Amino acid sequence: MTPALRELEILFPKGLLHRPGELAPYESDALTAFRARPLAVVLPESHEEVVAAVRWCQKHRIPYVARGSGTSLSGGSLPVEGGIVIALNRMNRLLRLDPKERTAVVQPGFINLQVSLAAAPYGLYYAPDPSSQPVSTIGGNLAFNSGGAHCLKYGMTSNHVLGAKVVLPDGETASLGSESLEGVGPDWLGLFVGSEGLLGIATEVTLRLLPKPEAYHTVLAAYDTLEKAGEAVAAVVASGILPGAMEIMDSLAIEAAEAAVGAGYPREARALLIVELEGEAPEVEAEAHHLEQVIRSSGAYEVRVAQSEAERMKIWKGRKAAFSAVGRLSPDYIVQDGVVPRSKLGQALAEIERLSERYGLRVANVFHAGDGNLHPLILYNGRVPGELERAEELAGEILRLCVALGGSITGEHGVGMEKRAYMPEMFSPTDLEAMRRIRQALDPLELSNRGKMFPGGEPRPPSGPHPLERAGVIVRE
Amino acid sequence: MNSLRPTHPKEVQEAVRSHPRLLPRGGGSKPALSSPKEGQVALELTGLSGVLEYNPGEYVVVARAGTALAELEALLRAHGQYLPFDPPFVGQGATLGGTVAAGLSGPMRNRYGGVRDFILGVEFVDGLGNLVRGGGKVVKNAAGFDLPKLMVGSLGRLGVLTELAFKVFPYPKATATLKVAFPNLGEALEALYRLAASPIELYALDLVPPNSLVLRLGGLPEALPARLERLEGFLGRRGERLQEEAEKAYWEGVRDLRDFGEGYLVKVALTPRHIPALEARLGAAPRRYMSAGHLLYLAWSGPVEALDEALRAEGLPGLILRGVVANPRIGLNSEGTFGLKVTAALDPEGRFERYAAPN
Amino acid sequence: MQHRIDPEKVGPQGEVMAHAIEACVHCGFCLPACPTYQVLGEEMDSPRGRIFLMKEVLEGSLSLEEAQPYIDKCLGCLGCVTACPSGVPYGELITSFRAYSEPKRRRPLFQKAFRMGLQETLPYPARFRAAARLGRLARPLKPLLPSFLRAPLELLPAELPPPEPLPERVAAEGERRARVAFLAGCAQQVLQPGFNRAALRVLARNGVEVVIPKGQVCCGALALHTGERERALRLARQNLRAFSGDYDAILTNAAGCGSGLKEYPLLFRGEAEEEEARALAQRVKDIAVFLVELGLREVPPLKEPLRVAYHDACHLAHAQGVRAEPRALLRSIPGVELVEIPEGELCCGSAGTYNLEQPQIAATLGERKARNILATGAQVVVTGNIGCHTQIQNHLRKLGQNLPVLHTVELLDKAYAGQL
Repeated sequence: MTPALRELEILFPKGLLHRPGELAPYESDALTAFRARPLAVVLPESHEEVVAAVRWCQKHRIPYVARGSGTSLSGGSLPVEGGIVIALNRMNRLLRLDPKERTAVVQPGFINLQVSLAAAPYGLYYAPDPSSQPVSTIGGNLAFNSGGAHCLKYGMTSNHVLGAKVVLPDGETASLGSESLEGVGPDWLGLFVGSEGLLGIATEVTLRLLPKPEAYHTVLAAYDTLEKAGEAVAAVVASGILPGAMEIMDSLAIEAAEAAVGAGYPREARALLIVELEGEAPEVEAEAHHLEQVIRSSGAYEVRVAQSEAERMKIWKGRKAAFSAVGRLSPDYIVQDGVVPRSKLGQALAEIERLSERYGLRVANVFHAGDGNLHPLILYNGRVPGELERAEELAGEILRLCVALGGSITGEHGVGMEKRAYMPEMFSPTDLEAMRRIRQALDPLELSNRGKMFPGGEPRPPSGPHPLERAGVIVRE
Repeated sequence: MNSLRPTHPKEVQEAVRSHPRLLPRGGGSKPALSSPKEGQVALELTGLSGVLEYNPGEYVVVARAGTALAELEALLRAHGQYLPFDPPFVGQGATLGGTVAAGLSGPMRNRYGGVRDFILGVEFVDGLGNLVRGGGKVVKNAAGFDLPKLMVGSLGRLGVLTELAFKVFPYPKATATLKVAFPNLGEALEALYRLAASPIELYALDLVPPNSLVLRLGGLPEALPARLERLEGFLGRRGERLQEEAEKAYWEGVRDLRDFGEGYLVKVALTPRHIPALEARLGAAPRRYMSAGHLLYLAWSGPVEALDEALRAEGLPGLILRGVVANPRIGLNSEGTFGLKVTAALDPEGRFERYAAPN
Repeated sequence: MQHRIDPEKVGPQGEVMAHAIEACVHCGFCLPACPTYQVLGEEMDSPRGRIFLMKEVLEGSLSLEEAQPYIDKCLGCLGCVTACPSGVPYGELITSFRAYSEPKRRRPLFQKAFRMGLQETLPYPARFRAAARLGRLARPLKPLLPSFLRAPLELLPAELPPPEPLPERVAAEGERRARVAFLAGCAQQVLQPGFNRAALRVLARNGVEVVIPKGQVCCGALALHTGERERALRLARQNLRAFSGDYDAILTNAAGCGSGLKEYPLLFRGEAEEEEARALAQRVKDIAVFLVELGLREVPPLKEPLRVAYHDACHLAHAQGVRAEPRALLRSIPGVELVEIPEGELCCGSAGTYNLEQPQIAATLGERKARNILATGAQVVVTGNIGCHTQIQNHLRKLGQNLPVLHTVELLDKAYAGQL
């Protein structure tokens, strides 16, 4: 054990992991194509312990990454080789729940779904619902601005976080946001959420809770082509109805979901559309009537309406299990997360199909159709030489396609490790430079989640004093 | 006083590079935020105007920052859509950029959220004169730092906005309003809490002192009568109903903050929990609490120091929109080094007004 | 997940393990379902983490000693199998890995002796009875004993019921509707002979002729799950012979034994009897499943309504997918109000010999389960497994609660007898 590590052990007598058997399972998050062995894992139990860990990293100039349940699909919580993993799983308490003000204050290791479970007795819930919600933590959701199936209407994590107590990369504590939905002055919290752990670590998060909708109306429509399902989405939008969610799955995804959870989907369908209305009962009833007409004229060959909460949950269970379920169809896969303008969905899907044929790799499609967020799952076998490389190349082509169509390289999984090389496709050097200046203003050594989001690996060697240094804003050790 | 009127982002870049101190200004509807001080060059942005992209099927609109809200709103309404954060001062010539920089939303923010919840993309000129883009032009995007949100409420201190992308929604096919008076503030507030925690979806949930709630429903016309009935049933009391044109005219007036009379016009961010104490301090100042008690607009005729003190006592931040003051930010200012460092990163040479923290 | 395992080098179950590891996509859906992860909160003690560790060991990049503590902490409850969207056969993986690693590991002598002792007593009712008596005598010495010997003593009942040899055959009452073979189980014969008596009475009352084949022995699950493959094979071969007759089904009323028998095809993989094992496994049914398929003869209504909490034994719910049938049986008793236990998917901590080998985690889980049961306000807890029964009863008593714990067939039996 090095002297530095011994020092860390004194700071974390019961929360330090450093043996090979302890570190190996932390080498990857949910993107196993990448792995890196950290120097150690610390398990802080308080804000003060997070501060201590960050200060230790500062002192020894060792990069670190904060980690929740390690469900990132972009390699966002991948350790830095030789760095520290600050695992926040022991900071998993619900600190306060105020049903009257409709807020919950949680520690970062608290699980997303548990927020809604805790709020349920008061008729409230926490809206962001990434598919990983039974597993993923609020801290991770915050860092990556997680989305889910209901983003079109309700927004992403950022729209549901009111405040956060954070440990900045210099070890100082900052309090961002407030309990109010409104603010005065720049939206610092807005910047922090989704910053992928580069700007600090949240140790206490204030979430906003919403009243649970009174009624749901969940429709499952089966189509014989993917195109028809896409057109149905456009028709719903054109009708002026604003559904809580609109999801499409293609035949491969249907097959996988059926195999995993037996959701009762029509197996032979080429595409399934899930549309969910929610709100006040009389309004939902009226909207359902309009929706029925739209769906009926959309060419669906089978339409089912969930008749009970159990049936509704079953429909969603299949959808939410779809990613992991693809593991049944293929030993390996890459999940992509591109966004295209909704009107370009058909074009994007056709192009993806063409690419799939060209590369000789199967691509399953599950996506949030309401917001044009595609999730092509590229199936490959890592043991076949060259397949991973082909799959990665195909994934890259899809991302470039999304940008070319006016969209984004990530809707909700974040850039992380996986898509950092594609940031220049979407942002100019000037844009990236501005973001980098913000990062370096807070973390001149680029220790916090080093190697993520920005293209290129190691921080650039400082070439003379930084403008901020000259301005006396930052000081290097 | 020196002023420039760029008509292209490049001209904004040149202006920033060639002037040590600048103050961007849109329609001038919030004079407290757009009146240049000694030594500042006013950057008039109304020449940087026009809708760049709008396909109603996308729920996205992209426009130059100097575009008048009225122009944008007319276009959206022609396609049955609107800006769900319901920005104020439309009738007074407010621009999209000014609305974002001031961080202002109106009564209908109650249904789906405020300006921060609908901004998707931004292009701005930073303090070094670089043209920077952040966010995107699609309704969902998680790439890079969320610079669009950062700009909300930034008061021009991080950069000059040149282009903005917003998510828009279909405008409700029908709306109806219920004004309900309660015996006292306590009961009105209790009803506000009950409504906010209920599944009843209100486009606006305003508390009008001393003791009234004004509630706006929206949706399909065939469901509205039943929902109004239910709403009254839920409250256990009847109210005055507003419908059709009268209803629309009423909300336009409210949204543009027209009935506040003279004095400083101030925005306060709060939670309903603060209302009783504030009510005890604000005296006769015209005011209205919007969005279930999270947003207060008030007119203040007394000395600004007194209001500043009242807000500090309650731990609330305020922003003066109208009325000339040295620093429009009053009340609590809890900004720490995080904000200072980010500001310095984007404007290292201090070209933009910082509105330095008063405390 | 990608791996570099060479199945050839690993042995007969290499293919099984490689396949399971391949199927894991590291998504983490198993984390909330894993009792040890719930208690310890560290990645090594999660199914996903263990899969990673096993992979590393099989690839040769991690020593067995490094991985072993975490593999040992797995209860084998298979809660993760239920939660896993990508269908990782985790049970086959961990069982195979334990069989693979057991011969390679060096255990301290006393631990070896202890484990050997368990393997040599628990599966044999007469030996177990004798050991249990000895244990009761040793109770006063408990504070002086090393901790690994204290746990078993705590689990022993104060009083052992007298031994009751089972008949070789029980005739059907009324019209004969089926003829089945019955596996009597080992530990439960000593600890709760009432389970079998109740099972036989309920079967007979439902027109089922029951044969309790002579020559049957422990199913071998205990040995198999602790990596003693040879011992398990020895026992299983005897059972293949004992149950070779022509029966409509082979029944068990112990979840662990049922899943143990269903694992024979895995156990016999690459052995001469592989086909035979498969045939036997296909006929094995838990008594609840059998009774639901058969259709219960009418149960008289209870004298008073009874609030019943049903506890899912892991080896029924997760290993065999049996959840609906026991509940259906209970619901068919007029007057029973069935309630669900919060965190019902989570193991009670009994898990075969786990509560003897990892007593601390087992106790944490046991207490958690007991508290969750109490939260339901139930008057009776029902379960379909002897291990769960002992564990739950023990932890309810520790909390000062004397809630009766019954086997599903016991409640049914009492209802038929009009005792409730």
